[in-house]
Amino acid sequence: MDTDSDRIRLTAIGIVALSLFVALFVRLWFLQAIDRQRFEVASASNRLRQIHVEGPRGRILDRNGKILVDNRTEVVVALDREPLRKLTPARREAIFADLAETLTSQGVPTKVRDVQKKYDDQRYAPQERVPLLEDIDENTEIFLLERGHRFPGLVVERRAVRVYPYGPLAAHLVGYVGEINEDELAARGGKVPGATSTTSTTTPTGVALTKPYYVRDTIGKAGVERSFEKYLRGTPGSRTVEVNAKGDMISVVSEKPAKAGDDVWLSIDADMQNTAEQLLEAKVRSVRDKIDNDGNPLRAPQGSVVIQDPQNGQVLAMASYPDYDPSITVNGISTELWEQLNNPDNGRPLFNWALQGTYAPGSTFKLFTGYSAMRTGFITPANERYYDQGSYKVKGCNAGKCSFRNAGGAKLGMVDLPRSLTVSSDVYYYWIGDALWQAKGQLGETALQDGAEQFGIGQRTGIELPSEAPGRLPTPRSRRELYRANPKAFVTDRWYTGDNILTSIGQGDVLVTPLQLASSYSTFANGGTQYRPLIATAVTRPKDPGVDPAALNNVVLVHRFEPEVLGKVPFTTEQYLKIMQGLIGVTQSGSGTAVKSWRASPTAWPMAGKTGTAQVTGKADTSVFAGFGPVDGSPPRYTISIIIPEAGFGGDVAAPLAFRIMKPVSENRLVPACTVDQVARCEADLARQVALVSGDVGSGGPG
Amino acid sequence: MLAPQSGSQSSYGGRFRATDLAAPWRHVDVVLLAAVAGVLLIGSVMVQSATRNLPDGGTFIVKHLAFIVVGVGAMAAVSLVDYRRILAWWPVVYGGSLVLLAGVLTPLGSTVNGTRGWYRLGPLQLQPAEFAKVAMIVAIAAYLGAAERVDLRRLFGALMLMGGPIALTLLQPDLGSSLVFIVAGLGMMVVGGVKMRHLAVLMVLGVVAVAGILNSGTLDQYQKDRLTDFVSPDGQSYNVRQAQIAISSGGITGYGLGKGPQTKGGYVPEQQTDFIFTVAGEELGFLGSGLLILLLGTVIWRIWRIAQMSAEPAGTLVCVGVMSMFLFHVFENIGMTLGIMPVTGIPLPFVSYGGSSMLAAFMALGLVQSVHMHRFV
Repeated sequence: MDTDSDRIRLTAIGIVALSLFVALFVRLWFLQAIDRQRFEVASASNRLRQIHVEGPRGRILDRNGKILVDNRTEVVVALDREPLRKLTPARREAIFADLAETLTSQGVPTKVRDVQKKYDDQRYAPQERVPLLEDIDENTEIFLLERGHRFPGLVVERRAVRVYPYGPLAAHLVGYVGEINEDELAARGGKVPGATSTTSTTTPTGVALTKPYYVRDTIGKAGVERSFEKYLRGTPGSRTVEVNAKGDMISVVSEKPAKAGDDVWLSIDADMQNTAEQLLEAKVRSVRDKIDNDGNPLRAPQGSVVIQDPQNGQVLAMASYPDYDPSITVNGISTELWEQLNNPDNGRPLFNWALQGTYAPGSTFKLFTGYSAMRTGFITPANERYYDQGSYKVKGCNAGKCSFRNAGGAKLGMVDLPRSLTVSSDVYYYWIGDALWQAKGQLGETALQDGAEQFGIGQRTGIELPSEAPGRLPTPRSRRELYRANPKAFVTDRWYTGDNILTSIGQGDVLVTPLQLASSYSTFANGGTQYRPLIATAVTRPKDPGVDPAALNNVVLVHRFEPEVLGKVPFTTEQYLKIMQGLIGVTQSGSGTAVKSWRASPTAWPMAGKTGTAQVTGKADTSVFAGFGPVDGSPPRYTISIIIPEAGFGGDVAAPLAFRIMKPVSENRLVPACTVDQVARCEADLARQVALVSGDVGSGGPG
Repeated sequence: MLAPQSGSQSSYGGRFRATDLAAPWRHVDVVLLAAVAGVLLIGSVMVQSATRNLPDGGTFIVKHLAFIVVGVGAMAAVSLVDYRRILAWWPVVYGGSLVLLAGVLTPLGSTVNGTRGWYRLGPLQLQPAEFAKVAMIVAIAAYLGAAERVDLRRLFGALMLMGGPIALTLLQPDLGSSLVFIVAGLGMMVVGGVKMRHLAVLMVLGVVAVAGILNSGTLDQYQKDRLTDFVSPDGQSYNVRQAQIAISSGGITGYGLGKGPQTKGGYVPEQQTDFIFTVAGEELGFLGSGLLILLLGTVIWRIWRIAQMSAEPAGTLVCVGVMSMFLFHVFENIGMTLGIMPVTGIPLPFVSYGGSSMLAAFMALGLVQSVHMHRFV
């Protein structure tokens, strides 16, 4: 051996060894000192899982504290997939087959495929439990628990779901909840599964920030549940757990309990709501299957009643027929059911017609035309009489339709403004409509519409409920714009005298919602103050959740909904009294269009109002009534509007219904609303109402 | 242990008597032993930390400590025998190891993680490749050390000695161990007087051989994947990523014993054996894992030093062989957890849980100590 060379080679090996160790140190330092933060984040996301716990929603109460929407505990059978994952696929299948068979034998038809699908559901994190059966009964629960050893991974859980103590009462108002969809989630800054990137978790409102949304959360889908979501939604809690490589939980790192949402107190009076709903249903049923004088069937596919406090805009009742039982929405609505609820042949029960339905107001519009005539100075004490010959000839007309008749063709003789309202002379308003159009040079082309607009016709009232329709107040300008936008759909872009004439009696293209009509009559009733209709009075949270939420000493006020003035309609006292006199005459004077209804039996106080009978081509008339009371010198406290399409004259259907509803209101003798446990009593009530309402006779004339 | 008599004699006799100076027990490399003791201490704590959450957690540390006790005994026994007497028996030692390596390929052996490399002996498993490494070092040291000069014939002889265990371990297949044979063998050839030009040709042949192994059907796809993982850092395998997360998040001071989240959660596979360094990295941080590397470095430095001090070429070769083996084990094992080396399943000496590797490492250390202790005899 060449010893010197070997020494050098040994030294070389030593240097190699040294440099390898230096490399290890450098790399170790790089990882632990320089790159640490990046890997620390990776370490945390490796092992920490956040389990999100939704807080129970707040309750919905009526103005007196009756709970319209509450929570109840539901028993859910869920799959805990962790123990199942450890089994062989064959063993798992056997368990699923056994489970499906057992459940089917317990009266819950279940397919193996369904269980397998739940097991494979990717929307749930591996640690999360997948609900298999919702709302099972106690017997099934006990049966399954006793056989727990046969079904590894089967767990029985409890969760809060909505319950409706009064059944379908105010169903459209309270709305319903459902699982949040991807659009709703994205709009609230939630993390949409499968989305490529999550841009930010900040959301537009501060409330949403403290109540973040996650996949499969519950959200209000309609009605108050939707529009007051920010109050009703509970504050979610979370549990951060540490898991090992297999996904098994090692420990709970931190826990933030969920908090219940706040309670929303509606302005609705449950008893009044109940009365309105029952009588509306009774009336609609009594009208149906008859034929009117022109041979049109009275289908009455739907109907609405709105009762409002004219002094502050609070809605006291809002009934829409047909209705539905909101408890069917718990645990999700099937497609089949959804279609039924939206089927026009069923009257679209999910629709809140009081808010979403638009109808020609007919003669109830005459209040606004009369106001416009006085406002413009066309009608003055010196010039307020017109001789109603039963028809009206347009001045200077020599082409097209020049003559317009009273509905029913009655000759009403000499009428002034109050009488024109009381007897519902159309000719009187044709005269105004023609004159205001002729004077467009001085008054502008919307002299007729301007007054109605001040009362809110053709505009959304701004009530805090979703899907409100705006209605329509046609003007020469809107006609031009519509035509320009879509020339094929419209005959002309011109506005003729005849259009003014039809608009003046609430026909033609005028459309209102029942809520809008109530709100506009409230504006008149209180002397000209236009309030935004309120659906809720307050938001509270209970000091002690275990105690009655209506108990006054148990309530912490979160928010109070104050009356909101949207505008003022200016009147002189003389102008106001002229209209008031006419409207009182409708129910009180011998020639009033609704007098028969109010004379049927005494009420505690008199009301003013106006009937309306809107003609719809090819269909029976829309029956309309709007009124308010008391009109005994004290400020009116109730405005009511009723619209029932394809039901006949306003004086025959809507007016008597208004009387039937307002009589117990005026006498303070409302039948208490029925809870679902009191079905028998309610059915008896309903039968009595149907008998009562069917016996009502109307005025027998249009207008 | 063996020398109370000679010890008592020496304390009475003159201090400079050659016989006393030559007494083997007086020439134990204490620094080497201390460094190994330090490594063993840290290693045992790491094994406990890595296994405490496993289903039969308590048994690992007990077995580990038992392996250490047996290993220390084996080391003492080997070191007290003059290494030259061991080298003289090299054909038996080497032949025995080949028989064991061949036997494991028969139905006598059992397969773990796709490698047929273990004998199952009741509760214990014996991995013959670990002992074959030491046997090959003994054989080549004896074979090359006995030669006046290394001509081509000798070189081929040495290569044949290397080739046997390499071929047999590749058949298991155990890529990591076969690389250890190559590295240890080459290290000994470099120092053992093989001519530079022969070494150069060997290098070329080596590269060709590695390419051949990679392209032949010998390696399973997973083994190739491991090697390519190393080449492309983007496609890091789960193991490597989890290992780096563990080490890196340990930072300077570490999470503390038993507190490493990655370790507790069992995110790094094989964390008590091949990936045990991740436990040190996460729970002890740079201070602890750096100290571990430093101690392992000290072990290698001391072996290198003994190689230099050896009285004869064979002793030097034994030390160079053991040093190369340990160096490769340490660099490859720690390097793969740090993401700078491909993943191959070879243990970290004196640290990883596993009886065969522990025992073999102690035997190799015993040989080195024997060289140190018998350098004057």
